[in-house]
Amino acid sequence: MKIPSTSLSTRQLGGYVCSGCTRQLRRQRRSYATSTVNPDLYDVVCVGGGPAGLSLLAALRSQPATANLKIALVESQRLDATRNFQLPPTQFSNRCSSLTPSSVRFLEQVGAWQHVDQKRVQSYEEMQVWDGVTGARIEFDWPAEKRGQTIAYMNENLNLTSGLLKRIDELGGVEVLDGQKVEDIALGSETEDFDLSSWPVVSLSGGRKLAARLLVGADGANSPVRAFAGIGSRGWDYERHGVVATLQMEGPGWGGESKIAYQRFLPTGPVAMLPLPGDYSTLVWSTTPALAAHLKTLSPKDFIAMVNAAFRLSPVDLAYMHTQSDGQADELAWRSQHTNFDQHRIPQQVIGVQEGSIASFPLKLRHADTYIGERVALVGDAAHTIHPLAGQGLNQGQGDVESLANTIQYAVTHGQDIGVRMSLEPYNAERYAANNMLLGVVDKLHKLYAVESGPIVPLRSIGLRAVNALGPVKQFFMDQAAGTGVKIL
Amino acid sequence: MPLQPTSLRNLHLLLRGTPRFVQNQFHTQWQIQSRSQSTASSVNPIEVSHFNALASSWWDPHGSSRLLHLMNPLRHDFIRSCHASQPTPPGSNLRFLDIGCGGGIFAESAARLPSTASVTAVDPSPEVLAVAKAHARRDPALQGKLTYLNTSIEGLPRPRGPDEQYDVLSLFEVIEHITHPADFLDACAQFVKPGGWIVMSTIARTWTSWLTTKVVAEDVVGIVPKGTHDWEKYINEEELRGYFLRERGWNSPRVMGVVYVPGLGWTRVKGSEKVGNYFFGIRKDE
Repeated sequence: MKIPSTSLSTRQLGGYVCSGCTRQLRRQRRSYATSTVNPDLYDVVCVGGGPAGLSLLAALRSQPATANLKIALVESQRLDATRNFQLPPTQFSNRCSSLTPSSVRFLEQVGAWQHVDQKRVQSYEEMQVWDGVTGARIEFDWPAEKRGQTIAYMNENLNLTSGLLKRIDELGGVEVLDGQKVEDIALGSETEDFDLSSWPVVSLSGGRKLAARLLVGADGANSPVRAFAGIGSRGWDYERHGVVATLQMEGPGWGGESKIAYQRFLPTGPVAMLPLPGDYSTLVWSTTPALAAHLKTLSPKDFIAMVNAAFRLSPVDLAYMHTQSDGQADELAWRSQHTNFDQHRIPQQVIGVQEGSIASFPLKLRHADTYIGERVALVGDAAHTIHPLAGQGLNQGQGDVESLANTIQYAVTHGQDIGVRMSLEPYNAERYAANNMLLGVVDKLHKLYAVESGPIVPLRSIGLRAVNALGPVKQFFMDQAAGTGVKIL
Repeated sequence: MPLQPTSLRNLHLLLRGTPRFVQNQFHTQWQIQSRSQSTASSVNPIEVSHFNALASSWWDPHGSSRLLHLMNPLRHDFIRSCHASQPTPPGSNLRFLDIGCGGGIFAESAARLPSTASVTAVDPSPEVLAVAKAHARRDPALQGKLTYLNTSIEGLPRPRGPDEQYDVLSLFEVIEHITHPADFLDACAQFVKPGGWIVMSTIARTWTSWLTTKVVAEDVVGIVPKGTHDWEKYINEEELRGYFLRERGWNSPRVMGVVYVPGLGWTRVKGSEKVGNYFFGIRKDE
């Protein structure tokens, strides 16, 4: 209990939680809860200090109408390492995300982008996407009048969360409870003064109990908040793992200042090489769990060879090299002599891999049945998990957060209780259908390119070639990728 | 499209048996000198028992009050537009008196605003007021700011000076349920501070409102329980305007017509105050 015995005025508590509540905290005579510790009351309790949760809190604190809300952040990890994130310019974290211009605009608006280390952010202006089986290509390049316009920004997740934390620290007013696990979430109880039976009460490993007017689940794919709310999540596992690594290239890229992102669809899944500042790139290679495990056992030299091969050799050659326990470097040198490729349409050679940066994670599709419950809202991965092939995961979360922050702002300025379902309905209405469509499109793309032979292979190549030839269609895809296109509901 | 004979016949069938366009009691009542009303109640007992029956579903977001919940934000937008029209808009510490508060949809929301000092909310239906009180306990922030009283306006002690009067007196979806609206408004007026506002929302007495609120809402779609509305009690905007501006000490009448568009919600439509739901606000002379 942090409530002092002296009376706290409404103003001291930030306006939204009244002085009566603190009285209740002092004298809760009749309690049905087994614990004798009374909960502290908050307007917003956010579980999860990842990009989505932190963006929401930065947004709420930076809008005047919501700046008076009493807010707590619960995060199981200590946040000091994130806050003090710093690496030399020759090293990059292996967890990077593509941020669309629309996400960056939102982050600028909440004042967080200014705290992100811009020297570690890399924009790209061109995308090269091709079919590994047939070689059919689609070159995503802006038309002349938009040339040079950024498609997306590659950024380390830690650089983003660090910037968000700095912004939240600068704004103040968020009670950060890090290094504390959520032990239990249960509904509150009815007392003589109040009826908190609709308020979720979060019990922390440190012993604190927080009663939430609105509990935000920004707590990832296995969201405890979602489980508490009884909201189901449906989807499937792709039987694929994403292998990530930080790579050193032979140079800054074919475009010089103007950077290019590459993605090749292999039958095992897409392999993507995304530009980082300087001579560096980040790899996302989705492949079978067995091949992912094998890649991780290779020596750096052979791993590098496999990555270079993944953008150059035929799927048959690659399949053979996957069976070798070592010696991929020599194999690539020999096989390259017998393969024709236009080196300017594929990434430059990888010459190094950052030590300890090779990792993998399982890929899946999940979508919660709804994003809202009574006094509960889900954002980011707690609401949806997407295949990384379109680089939309983190951006969907930013879209959620912007919408939820606007919904809360509207509720506050119109005197609504921000936790009740009625107040949260606009958020669910705005985001659910949009996310569902993107999840579906990306899922179909994955499935389309997982086919190695049969009638669908030439068909999809016709599809890619047709898209490549049709300017307006290509423009549409690029606008969608950049998040600047017309929103399809 | 030219009218087909069949559609004309349908129209005729539709209109047959509808109430005739009558001048309701309000229209004539305000010309009659007010009776002594210190003890008389504006409250119609049939109305009270009707709303008693609705009490349990008042806060069900998908229940019969859903349209009221959806309309509530517009009430605040309207009050803000009234305040913004003043030469010097009022600051904070506003005192609200909400007459016919029902389950407290507006009263709770007004009490949550940082610019509100207090809300006094009254309703003659004990069942409805019990629901309002129980619901307010769910939000500790309301304690000390929101007071519910089970009374009609006539049961409230008369203010002895501006300190006991209110900045905003609200009558949301109330006036159409009142039997003697002119007396009722006279009683309300005493509670408003000089420079304060009476704000209300109601429905115009037109063919359109008869169709939408009686036939469609109550009978066809059934989103509003039967017997909720008595079309003959509906009051038109120009009647309200005429009442207040007849040397009673009011100025700056404001009106905003709203239309419920399925899939879009309540939307402000200019001129729609003539045909359906509208907000009306008027300021007491300073």
